[in-house]
Formats: sequence, structure tokens, C-alpha cells
Amino acid sequence: MSALVAERLSHWFGSDPALDSVDLLVDRGDHVAILGENGAGKTTLLRILATAIRPSSGKLEIMGLDALRERRRLRGRIGYVAHTPGLYPALTAAENLAFFCDLRGADRERVPEMLDLAGLSQVARKRASELSRGMQQRLAIARAVLHDPLLLILDEPDASLDAEGPELLVRVMKDRTTVLATHDQALATRLCQRTVVLRRGRVFGAGSRLRVVQ
Amino acid sequence: MRFATVAVAIARKDLMSEWRTRELVPALAQFVVLALVIANFGFQIDSHNASAIAPGVLWLALVFAGLIAFGRAFAAEREQATLEAMLMTGAQPAAIFAGKALAAGLLLVVCEAVLLPALGLLFGVDVSAGLVGAVLLATIGMAALGCLFAAMVAQLRARELLLPLLTLPLWIPFIVAGGQAVQSAMGGSGAFDQAVKLLLDFDILFVVLTSLAARFVLDD
Repeated sequence: MSALVAERLSHWFGSDPALDSVDLLVDRGDHVAILGENGAGKTTLLRILATAIRPSSGKLEIMGLDALRERRRLRGRIGYVAHTPGLYPALTAAENLAFFCDLRGADRERVPEMLDLAGLSQVARKRASELSRGMQQRLAIARAVLHDPLLLILDEPDASLDAEGPELLVRVMKDRTTVLATHDQALATRLCQRTVVLRRGRVFGAGSRLRVVQ
Repeated sequence: MRFATVAVAIARKDLMSEWRTRELVPALAQFVVLALVIANFGFQIDSHNASAIAPGVLWLALVFAGLIAFGRAFAAEREQATLEAMLMTGAQPAAIFAGKALAAGLLLVVCEAVLLPALGLLFGVDVSAGLVGAVLLATIGMAALGCLFAAMVAQLRARELLLPLLTLPLWIPFIVAGGQAVQSAMGGSGAFDQAVKLLLDFDILFVVLTSLAARFVLDD
């Protein structure tokens, strides 16, 4: 069964097309990597899939719901790691997570568990502004799975992560449908069964991990 | 219930951030006191004209302090890319807006706690409960409108210019009714009760309108 069906998604910024008739089908449990050079449209596509922005045209269905009409409902089922961590610098790591628990209606007791998952238990009481960029990214990833989402949308989640970062990604992606954008082809082939290559807003190629490596 | 939980969580987060960073309130408090000192020298205040001039000075200081306080409310969220993170939780945009407006309004109340005693001291006017009540009533509606426009202009480059241009015309009802209430509370002419009722009506009107508009401003 499909978790995500995108048909002819297009998006313009002014007169510049960022996405041009992109079709994407992601089955439940699938891990799909979006590859492409800078400006290829990866972030725009992911922001649309995460319901952060509306496409200029096209259809998007996520978990059987119309993603353009049921955005708020879907946001409760989607975990999204954006290009920037989006944390509150004056709040500690634990307070950041607790705040987003309140907003999501999730149990605050999940905070220590998520900090442990992200390897941040030792810095739980440090302010977000005092964390390294990699730790901030880990915190953003932990926040994305606070509510145990069915679908994960990850925009360059490996940015600033250390050598153990991919292990964290493996843990959070387990049993979850995932669409991730990255520049790292090795990471894409390691984490995902399928890859889609974007170039200038269009799907340039798609395939299984073997085909892309070849 | 969920609406209130989200709004309170956001207000608490904003107040905690301000308590830890002390970015806004100390500067605003200094600003309002300086404005009163300048007005005190500029207007040659004496016991005869103080109650006529003080309300105008009070509202001028309050309006400009409000523009700064409400302008920061959403600018910081946009700069840190946290507004999108909040919206992506599925929380109601109106609840997010209510939380932001509540926190910004409370920060302005803290400034008013400095402004009103300073006004009493420098202008020799009586700061009565009626005066405080009128200022607090006006703060509610001003916070709702100020935060709505602050959210609208937050991602524009010319936001510092646009915020006063959009907000000030719609704050005029509060300044007129509030000015009348304050003048009356200071012993001047005018019907205090009527002015306060008018402030209450404006509060209800603008709180409802801004809550309805919040979804379109924040999320669409």
C-alpha cells in the first residue's frame, strides 16, 4: 500500500520553476533517497511532502489523505527535519523537546528516551545555543520522532553529523516510511532501497540502490 | 483544552527565553523612562498642565514600546526557523498566535510596571487603579493587533518600516478611548466608564478578528 503518492507536483518561486511535474510513489515502510545537486529542487520537494508549503500545482496524497486539504491532521503523523534545526537557543536540549511534546500533545516522559536515542543524555541540561551544530542536528532528529510518526521527511539529516550519525538515522528510520534528501550517495545507498535523482526540478532518474551505484 | 495547552506552552517558552536572555525588557524599560524624561524637559511640566499632558506622553511611550515588543515576537521565530517547526506539530495556528500575543502582551505589561510609576514620579500625577486598568485593557487589543501584523511582516526585509505603518492606524481606537479613560482617571474631563466600555468592545472585536485571521497569516 502506498504511503505517499505525488502526481505532477510543480512549484514556482515567482517565474522560476523549482519543481516541474514531479511524480513520486512511496510504499509503506520504503526508504527513498532524493539525490541532486544544489538547486535541483530537493528541499522544495521535501517541504511540499512535509506539508510545510503548498505546491503551485499537482496532487499529493499521504497515507490516504489529501495532503493539501488535511495538512494539520497529517502533520500529526509526519516527522520532519528541515534544512535548519529550528531550535530555541535559550532553552536546554530537554526543554526544547518538552516544549514540542506540549505542542504535539505527546507525553513529556518521552523526552529522556528521545535524548538517549539521539545520544544527547549527557547534554540534556545544556542550552541549544551551547550545543555544537552536529548536536543541534541530533536534537532536531530526536524532535522529529517525539510523536512516533509513520512518515519521516529528512532534509539533509546527515549535515554536520559525526561518523556515528548514520547509525542514529538507521535507528530513527527503522519501521518508518522515509523520504530523505542528501548529497551523499554512499549514505543514500546504505539507508534507502530506492533513489530518485532530481535535476533542475525534474526527475532525472530513479531506481533501486544497485542501479544507481552502477 | 488543547488550544489552551499550546497557547500557555508558547507563552511560557517566550517568557522563559526572555528571562534568560534579557534581550527585550531591560531595553524597553530604559526606553520608556527616557521617553518620559525627555517629555518632562520638553513640555515644561507643572502642577497645572501635568494631567493634560501626561496621558499623551503615556500613550506615545506605550505605542512605541509596543511596536518594538510585538515586532520582536515573530521576527525571532522567523530568524531561528522555529515558527515552521511549531506549525509542523499540527498545533492550531490560532493557538500559536494566542501564545505569542499573550507573551508579548505580558512583556509590555512588565514595561508598563516601570512606565506608570515613572509617570507618577516625573509628572506628579496620581496613578490610580482606574488608570492601570485602562492601560491593561488597551494592552490586550494592542497585543492582538500588533502580533498579527508582526507575523505578517516578519519575513519582509522592510518589516521595521511596515509594522508601524500597518499597526498604528488600527491602534488609533485604543489610543483615543484609552487616552480618554486615562485623562478621566487623572481627574480631567470625560466619562471614564464609557471609555472603558469602548476599550472592552475594541478588545473583543480585535481579539476575535485576529484569531480568525491568524491561520491565514501564519500558515498560508
